[in-house]
Amino acid sequence: MSNEATPRASPDALLAAAEREMRGKLRIFLGAAPGVGKTFAMLQAARAAKAGGLDVVVGLVETHGRAETEALVGGFEVLARRNIPYRGRLVAEFDVDAALKRAPQLLLVDEYAHSNIEGSRHAKRWQDVQELLAAGINVWTTLNIQHVESINDVVQRITGVRVRETVPDTALQKADEIILVDLPPDELLRRLAEGKVYVEDTATRAVQSFFKPSNLTALRELALRRVAARVDSDLLERMQGSAIEGPWAVGERLLVCVGPDVAAERVVREAKRLADLLDASWFAVTVERPGRTVAAAERARLEAGMRLAESLGAQTRSLVAGDIAAELLRFARFENVTQIVIGKAQPRRPLRLRRSLADALVREADGVAIHVVTAESVARRMERPKLPASGGAAGYLAATACVALASVIGRLLTQFVALPNVSMLYLLAVLVPAIRYGVWPAIFGSALSFLAYNFFFIDPVGTLTVARPHELLALVIFLTVAVLISAIAGRAREQTRAAALRIRATRRLYDFTRKLSALPDRTAVAEAAAIEIHAALGRAAVILTRPGGDLAIAAAWPPEDRLDTASMTAARWALDHREAAGAGTETLPDAAWRFVPFAGSAEAEPLGVIGVERGAAGSAPFDAESEALLATLAEQTAAALVRARLSTEVASARTAAETERVRNILLASISHDFRTPLASILGASTSLLDYGGGMPEATRRDLLGHIRDEAEHLDAMVRNLLSMTRLEAGALELRRDWIDVAEVLNRAVAAARRRGAQQGFSIRVAPALPLLFADPGLIDQALGNVVGNAVRHTAPTSKIELAAEATGDRLEIAVTDDGPGIAAEVLPHVFEKFVRAAHDNGDGGDGSGLGLAITKGIVEAHGGTVSATSPAPGATLGTRITIRLPLAPPPDMTGARQMEG
Amino acid sequence: MQLPRVLVVDDEPAIHRFMAPALVANGYEALKAENGAEAIAMTASRRPEIVILDLGLPDMDGKEVIRRLRGWTDTPIVVLSARDRDAEKIEALDLGADDFVNKPFSMGELMARLRAALRHHARATVETPVLRLGPIEIDLPRHRVVRDGAEVKLTPKEFDLLAFLARHAGRVVTHRQILREVWGPAHEHDTQYLRVYVGQLRAKLEADPVNPKLIVTEPGVGYRAGE
Repeated sequence: MSNEATPRASPDALLAAAEREMRGKLRIFLGAAPGVGKTFAMLQAARAAKAGGLDVVVGLVETHGRAETEALVGGFEVLARRNIPYRGRLVAEFDVDAALKRAPQLLLVDEYAHSNIEGSRHAKRWQDVQELLAAGINVWTTLNIQHVESINDVVQRITGVRVRETVPDTALQKADEIILVDLPPDELLRRLAEGKVYVEDTATRAVQSFFKPSNLTALRELALRRVAARVDSDLLERMQGSAIEGPWAVGERLLVCVGPDVAAERVVREAKRLADLLDASWFAVTVERPGRTVAAAERARLEAGMRLAESLGAQTRSLVAGDIAAELLRFARFENVTQIVIGKAQPRRPLRLRRSLADALVREADGVAIHVVTAESVARRMERPKLPASGGAAGYLAATACVALASVIGRLLTQFVALPNVSMLYLLAVLVPAIRYGVWPAIFGSALSFLAYNFFFIDPVGTLTVARPHELLALVIFLTVAVLISAIAGRAREQTRAAALRIRATRRLYDFTRKLSALPDRTAVAEAAAIEIHAALGRAAVILTRPGGDLAIAAAWPPEDRLDTASMTAARWALDHREAAGAGTETLPDAAWRFVPFAGSAEAEPLGVIGVERGAAGSAPFDAESEALLATLAEQTAAALVRARLSTEVASARTAAETERVRNILLASISHDFRTPLASILGASTSLLDYGGGMPEATRRDLLGHIRDEAEHLDAMVRNLLSMTRLEAGALELRRDWIDVAEVLNRAVAAARRRGAQQGFSIRVAPALPLLFADPGLIDQALGNVVGNAVRHTAPTSKIELAAEATGDRLEIAVTDDGPGIAAEVLPHVFEKFVRAAHDNGDGGDGSGLGLAITKGIVEAHGGTVSATSPAPGATLGTRITIRLPLAPPPDMTGARQMEG
Repeated sequence: MQLPRVLVVDDEPAIHRFMAPALVANGYEALKAENGAEAIAMTASRRPEIVILDLGLPDMDGKEVIRRLRGWTDTPIVVLSARDRDAEKIEALDLGADDFVNKPFSMGELMARLRAALRHHARATVETPVLRLGPIEIDLPRHRVVRDGAEVKLTPKEFDLLAFLARHAGRVVTHRQILREVWGPAHEHDTQYLRVYVGQLRAKLEADPVNPKLIVTEPGVGYRAGE
């Protein structure tokens, strides 16, 4: 038996179940109307759960002063509410953070549809509940059917009461369980009469008209239907999840085309109801015509419609096509859509040249049902489509000038040539303003041409009357053609302009990307991104990243180094939940900034958030266009930041490799240079131990001396290594003191002689040389290495001169030898580590290749410089190493001669 | 006659291994301590004539040993310290150590320090009016300096400086010790005075001022008057 034969669970069903495993479970107590006893039912069920050992906490329950409800609440731990200042008083609201902190197994939160007070984290309580669920807390809540978004307008039609607090259908669908709390309408009305039902003001007409038996019956039916549908879908999902082989038909799929007209919202709701009825998944689609400009109001309606569809559970798509019907059908075929819902708008003009979308769809559709929703007449307050800008007075002047010119030319031409149709000239006169200034000047020009043509060329010439009927016809045709040309040319111009605008926007984005990609590190990227976002959106921009875990401002434009607490909270929320938060969103809308998270890729952890400021009160809200632009900029910024991080990582990897290389050379150098003296010491001492008895006294002494010399050599090497390490770690501590430079030179020569140098030394010190303020030990070492270097590079018969003089505020110490000199290609590198002349067996007196590098390090630590010249100045051979050290102001000697008499 | 006892304080057995025979060969009796506490106890019980103290000890800082010993004894202390730890040496000397030797050291150098310290300790008890420093004779009561039979004119400060160095001949004295003594506590950081005055003294007294033998610089620490 192959695997194929085993019934397998649908991945989607398993995934949905798995996601719900992690999340808390949501149970909704659904009622048809206030007063059916949802809260009471919830509390009773909770009491049973608590008795069963569950950790149950009341997050918020409105008792409305009813004793029996209060008694029930009394048995539970109740979370304290949070007091939020609102219009000068404190309003006690549900405290999400306290609930998250307490994290009980089960939390009771009344009134799912409640709207939170301004200043809360979320606009709606159902959003609070979603956050609790995401945190793994099980929640029970209550809801009345009239608050469900998709049946909101049905309820309004039934009851005549508009319900403002709504819950999107998706929030209802997310419930793991829906419990219907049912009460027959008669019973409810009785309770209402007895005052057992809390309504804010029973006397109002709205309430009276709401609690009518017919309304209650209808609402009850709605609630029952809703729960019944829900049971069906639960069953279906369970069957899919457990892979029960069932004879279910291929599901219906529905598509709604959302247009920019006022009927959009109604069409969407209608589609949702149909989708529910058919238990179909559904798409909401907009089709945009390329090149067609959409007025701001239309765009806003279109987006509102799409948002509504999304909140009702539709998948949304934006399509672009010239032929809307064909594109819709193509999409429908591709997605196996079986039902298409469209709105039927009233024809814009009484005279329709184009057939309607509905007609086109019906004609071309094949195997797809088309539902046409007619818009009610109330919703027919169509705004006039915004016409392109008139082009100003210049356009009309130009049109007049063109017509005048055409008239003059026409008159002149007809004098010489019998032109059959002068009207062509006027068409030209219309075309020019149409192309240059758009539709309205062109139409104005058409009218003017019509008059001028009539006046100058149609008999009787010089009047606006027309003698012959066929010429009247010619005039009318001319006018029609002129207006059409104007319209077409004008639109072409509008499209060109729109295209230019888009190109500019694209160009801007391209520049943004290019600019960011050229930057070396994250700070620079963040800064440039902030400046660009500020320029693109015209709002203050800030970029927050989390270099050390918590969010911190990486860059801002205009410069800003801190955000207020509310904004930071919104920023963190946006980061944690990977959703926009702050101003203009549903989460923490009171924050001054709007934050969008950005990540290197869809799955990756967000790198940070981008904030744009809401701006002063009254400034333009965030429109969809800037929202989309912000999203794109965020993406680009994220990509650039990731790239910058990668390049930094590459650079540091390179540095690490370089360090590694240096370390390897050092180790190789140490192991070689240490082994040589150690081998000598070991060899000499074992010789003495084993054969010393038979050796002449002189040989013994020579071997012993050798041991001592090599040990001293080792000591010098260790000293240099230590110094090098300290120099490189930046741990070199200068213990400055006043130094007599002549003494330093003398000590250097004495030390070299002690180590066996046989060269001829000479010391030349300028008279009255000022004292040097430096670290005596380190200066000894620096000069000692230079002298040692000279000793090693020269023959025993050579001469080495040490000279010191002051030039201005610098002290110059030069060590010159008459040895073979340093090859030109090695010269620039003599102060680098591990660089030695080829013929050399060591450098600064220890052979580790560190001597001159240490000299350079020490001198530079004192603010001085070193240089090497070869051949030595004024010679053909030899080397001169020069150390230049800054001279401090002369020391104070006033106290020294006190009591000198 | 009993041999002078030398207490060697070091936690490295290798040091004791070569020190003991060398000391014995030079006419000393070698005592051994491997940590600070032992050093203090041995000094109290065995009363060594001189202590050689390594500053890096396992149980306490060598400087702490000096501080404790100086509370009750003036037994000379010669400190062993790494060459690059000038600050440590100066501190030890200011705490009352008599001299120092850089580690690693040659035996000859160490023996010279021991001899100087012992001699100085013996002389400190008897104040003589005339000090000798090589070819120089310093007449303290009369403020006169004679070199090879001829009087050398010194300023009062030069004389004070020379006298102080000669009184500690063979031993290192830190800049601070000299400055306090000669110029007073207010000037104990004015090392530039020393550079200038030592330079002047050398010019007047040394046979070869660029290659001084009478007043030798201990770079970074202080001066030592030759013997």
